[in-house]
Amino acid sequence: MERVQVLSLCLSVALIVFVLHLIRRRALREQYALLWLFFGLVMLVLSIKTSWLEWMAEAVNVFYAPSLLFLVGIVLCFLLILHLTVVVSKLTERIIVLTQEIGLIRNELEKHGQEKNG
Amino acid sequence: MSYDTLKVCIIIPAYNEEKSIAQVISRIFRLHPEFTVVVIDDGSSDGTAAAAKAAGADVITLPQNLGIGGAVQTGYLYCARKGFDVAVQVDADGQHKPEELDKIINPIREGQADMVLGSRWVENTGYRSSRSRRAGMLILASLVSFFTRRHVTDPTSGFRAVGRKGIQLFAEDYSTDYPEVDSLVSLNSHGLRIIEVAVEMDQRQAGSSSISSVKSIYYMIKVTLSIMIRSVR
Repeated sequence: MERVQVLSLCLSVALIVFVLHLIRRRALREQYALLWLFFGLVMLVLSIKTSWLEWMAEAVNVFYAPSLLFLVGIVLCFLLILHLTVVVSKLTERIIVLTQEIGLIRNELEKHGQEKNG
Repeated sequence: MSYDTLKVCIIIPAYNEEKSIAQVISRIFRLHPEFTVVVIDDGSSDGTAAAAKAAGADVITLPQNLGIGGAVQTGYLYCARKGFDVAVQVDADGQHKPEELDKIINPIREGQADMVLGSRWVENTGYRSSRSRRAGMLILASLVSFFTRRHVTDPTSGFRAVGRKGIQLFAEDYSTDYPEVDSLVSLNSHGLRIIEVAVEMDQRQAGSSSISSVKSIYYMIKVTLSIMIRSVR
């Protein structure tokens, strides 16, 4: 086993352990936990079975196998970021609706209180 | 329906406008005591809510600042739920004159339009502004005119009245970032009739425009994009 293989093995195991830790502390929602676990497993498998990566690189005519890894990694990062901005937009929308409702309900409550007192 | 039975609500979005808000409200009530005035206090840190309440307005205090679009939409939600027939948006800084209210409400009362825009440019009115500001408005106006296929001269005007259909639409969907321009395109794409009438405006009494000159280019790009997205949706 090469040194770099040991390093990547350690890193992917660390990622998986950390994600499991976050799940246990309920710091991560299940949908994202699954995603990260999937990432971790893919990394683990690729660092054990380097021949798979080389086979894939050959299939798409990439001469230097690790650069395929970079490409896939960057594409996945982009997709994840895009997904997160969609989530943030949705959350913003929900916060706006909630803020408006709180304002309207508070307004009703105040009127109700005034009627009772006066 | 006769004139008097139409329920009219004035929506005033306000963010830290304690200096001018009371006067705006009392000027409206002096001319139109039958109107309802609702002030949306958009998370102000000063005495805006108290000043508005003292002047006789119904006040909705938002627990945090939403920005102009979110605040105004709260007003439309209020109008939709209370069953108002006409909603009029008026700025809290005093640049919209209550004397001009009838001008923008009447076309709705008479069923000529679903939305009336109080415009500074239709005829020569007393309003003056800087050259760059006018250029920006001209670009926006031609954009909106192009996408709505109607002649619109002052799409950024915050002085506007809508009928029941418009209230309903705005309550459901209202752009939060650049509501003035965007909402025109949205109403138009739903087939509502928009007209413009000339109104006189004062220079603002206090506060400054929500669009500063530094941000205006960014604003223009965002609005353009937003209009384009809306018109293909």
